[in-house]
Amino acid sequence: MKGYIDGVIYDKIETIKKKKNVYELGRVLRVHDYILEVSGLESASFFERVFVTDKAEGYINHIGRNSVTVVLVKRSAPVYVGDEVMATGELFCAYYSFDAIGHIVDIFAEDKMRNQFFSNRQKIDIETPPIPIMERTSVNRPLHTGISGIDLLYPIGRGQRQLIIGDKKTGKTQIALDTIVNQRGGDMLCIYIAIGKTKKEVKEVYSELFRHGAMAYTLILAAFQDECAPVLRNTPQAGISIAEQYMMQGRDVLVVIDDLKQHADNYRELSLLSGKVPGRDAYPSDIFFAHASMLEKGCQHQNGGSITILPIVETKNGDITDYISTNIISITDGQIVLSAKNFEKGQKPAIDFGLSVSRLGGAVQAAELRKLGATVRRELLSYFETRVVFELANMDEMGAELRDKMGRGKEILTRMNQYKFEARTPQEMVSLFEELVVVRQ
Amino acid sequence: MRIGKIISISNLRVDILLDSKEINIRDIVWTEQDGRRDRFEVAQIDGGVALAIPLNSVNGLKKGLDVYLQKGGLQIEYSDQILGRVFSAFGEPLDDQTIESSGTKNIYLKNLTLSEIEIDGDILWTGIKVLDFFAPMQKGFKMGLLGGAGVGKTVLIKELINNVYKGFGSNSVFVGIGERSREGKELYDEMLESELLDKLSIAFGQMGESPMARSRAVYSGLTLAEYLRDEKKQDVLLFIDNMYRMIQANSEISAELGHMLIDNGYSTTLLSDVSEVEERINSTKDGSVTSFQAIYIPADDLTDAAVNAILSHLDGQVVLDRKMAEKGLYPAIDVFHTTSRLVTVEKVGQRHYSLVNEVIRHLSHYQELEKIVAVLGIEELSEENYNIFYRSRKLRNYFTQPMFVSEQFTGIPGKFVNVADVLDDVEAILSGKYDDEDESIFSYVGAIPKT
Repeated sequence: MKGYIDGVIYDKIETIKKKKNVYELGRVLRVHDYILEVSGLESASFFERVFVTDKAEGYINHIGRNSVTVVLVKRSAPVYVGDEVMATGELFCAYYSFDAIGHIVDIFAEDKMRNQFFSNRQKIDIETPPIPIMERTSVNRPLHTGISGIDLLYPIGRGQRQLIIGDKKTGKTQIALDTIVNQRGGDMLCIYIAIGKTKKEVKEVYSELFRHGAMAYTLILAAFQDECAPVLRNTPQAGISIAEQYMMQGRDVLVVIDDLKQHADNYRELSLLSGKVPGRDAYPSDIFFAHASMLEKGCQHQNGGSITILPIVETKNGDITDYISTNIISITDGQIVLSAKNFEKGQKPAIDFGLSVSRLGGAVQAAELRKLGATVRRELLSYFETRVVFELANMDEMGAELRDKMGRGKEILTRMNQYKFEARTPQEMVSLFEELVVVRQ
Repeated sequence: MRIGKIISISNLRVDILLDSKEINIRDIVWTEQDGRRDRFEVAQIDGGVALAIPLNSVNGLKKGLDVYLQKGGLQIEYSDQILGRVFSAFGEPLDDQTIESSGTKNIYLKNLTLSEIEIDGDILWTGIKVLDFFAPMQKGFKMGLLGGAGVGKTVLIKELINNVYKGFGSNSVFVGIGERSREGKELYDEMLESELLDKLSIAFGQMGESPMARSRAVYSGLTLAEYLRDEKKQDVLLFIDNMYRMIQANSEISAELGHMLIDNGYSTTLLSDVSEVEERINSTKDGSVTSFQAIYIPADDLTDAAVNAILSHLDGQVVLDRKMAEKGLYPAIDVFHTTSRLVTVEKVGQRHYSLVNEVIRHLSHYQELEKIVAVLGIEELSEENYNIFYRSRKLRNYFTQPMFVSEQFTGIPGKFVNVADVLDDVEAILSGKYDDEDESIFSYVGAIPKT
């Protein structure tokens, strides 16, 4: 009986606490940009959401022996030493409304075009447990981008993670947009995650997609360049969590993350400011894990749903062997490499066919594309290799076989050219390339 | 048993104020709140405070929680029940079936002594031309498969599983460390489909999992392999994909513990971490352990400290090269760095040994000629150089091979090639027998037809 009464009293106190907003309080000891040291908050949990009076919102990033560290995600006024910090008793999370498709939102479910929060927003965990290995099945359904260089040579399947990598202004985002637009009329749901983009850039993406009728099935989740680093750090993860919700309902989701290099740089800033030991190139030691745990959510689930992820990485000087790039290449199921040189030569999309890879290859292609694609790719790569050696040789002096090979290779390359938003269907690709090669049976 | 309470929490580290002395490094401790149990491994004891590493995420953990000791530490099944099963890095079965027996063993064991280790064994042919020719394998060897991101390590490992495991007739262990879960599941499905799973046990700590999972998966896998070697007295094949990821996970943990890091952010204990694992992978009089270890080369840097720490333990290495992959020549090996301890006259015989030297001499010369040809054209070469140039190109094409596991990708069925054929073919190409043939007929074939 006594236990029962204690229980009733305990429950009552809990409800009173919640209703009257009587939360645990702490005080700001130190302010370092968007990182605060706070005293008190003895019983707060790791990653708990906290408010600094009505000026700022953040979460607990470290619990020390005498104080806790809070990083801010929102700040409407300057925070001063001595300000009151209130713990909320719940973990930090993102918000999302299932009505947000077609809009530009942030991780707080605010419609950025109308400056309003969605009324029916619900909580989305930022960190979710990995998808159990036994719940995955093989990736074998194609996702058509409409680009011959991809669908034919380096195909993407539903549930695949395919990196798009290249220098500035080589058409990385364009490939992602082409792919999204090519999903029109299908059952794919698209999420475009913009990290550290300017507002202007995001608005351009929006109007481009809108003009092609793609916003009807697309969500833009944006963290602009001028937001606190912790928001930029958590936005792609939140976006993937949203995708996970849809996948668990059995939907196919395509997620574009634009771009992960920016994300890595923001994470580095946050980490170094929080006093973590720097690792290679001063990135935090767990940068690989941060990207891997996110990209590993891309899969074909046994319930029929899938998450396809197209992360984008910007390189300098065409170097895809730097630390962050090789990290992400080693996580993804392949990469589309775009080369500034090809772009200047007028090859659009400027795919570097030698460096691009699809680890799934034919497994995600329709049968008619598979045989043809393998042959065209071999012809093309062999053409590039021969071209380097015989660049100076006189065409007339070559053997007939070699001359034919060079001619065929050149023609294949020409036919790979496609202007933006000029998608080709698989049938069009077959009729365009079939006459050029002999398919080995 | 209660041993203390949490006083500080960060991403990968929990400090515990101890009120018991009954605790050791690598003990497992746990806390419980709201029905969820979190486990930690003790990494360091500083007087009255223990530093512990969480096995999973720390989100939601609170200061002041009571900490209890779990008896026995990290354990994995140690019985016949391991065959055909899949385990997590912490020794828990991942498939839905249960395990009835309770024969478990701690995953940290002491290393073998010098007297226990056996070093002799028979040659083990893999049917992969480049491996058998440049880097032949022996039972009990450790072979490293090195490569940067996306040049074909995993395909090679899978081809080896296909060629060696299927022909070996013995039990095997596959350890997936920090690699793609998709590939892990595909391996499981393929083995299940081709009814080969009953001789294989698998331990996974994949890339989406916590640093502790990736760091400890190899210990669990080794314990499984040791069971087969020590209790079943078998020759065991051990596939590890990917050894580098263990070091990477260790450096994540090390940074959080506040240790000083060495170059490129590796943990201070890099060398001892690698030795602790590699010295356990050895053959004894009871059975041999032959291992294939994929090693990732970060940022394509072959001089990387972690890569070299692992290499110093290996008997042979196959290095994959991005330049070859770029040209579509798979397996994309770098012949100048691919070698094994077996390439000596005593082990493989005079003929094989001389052929290897001759091929390397040709290909090395070819690299120089390639530059000359690009500037002056092919016509400017002397007859001798002209022959070397074209024969080298044929050799290079000949060393490509259609793989069984990439048939779906290339559309060409895989080929198993006997080493005797490889030696004959290489000799024939070098002698000029095929000088009149077009080089493209050598690409992606098995042995050259004798007609």
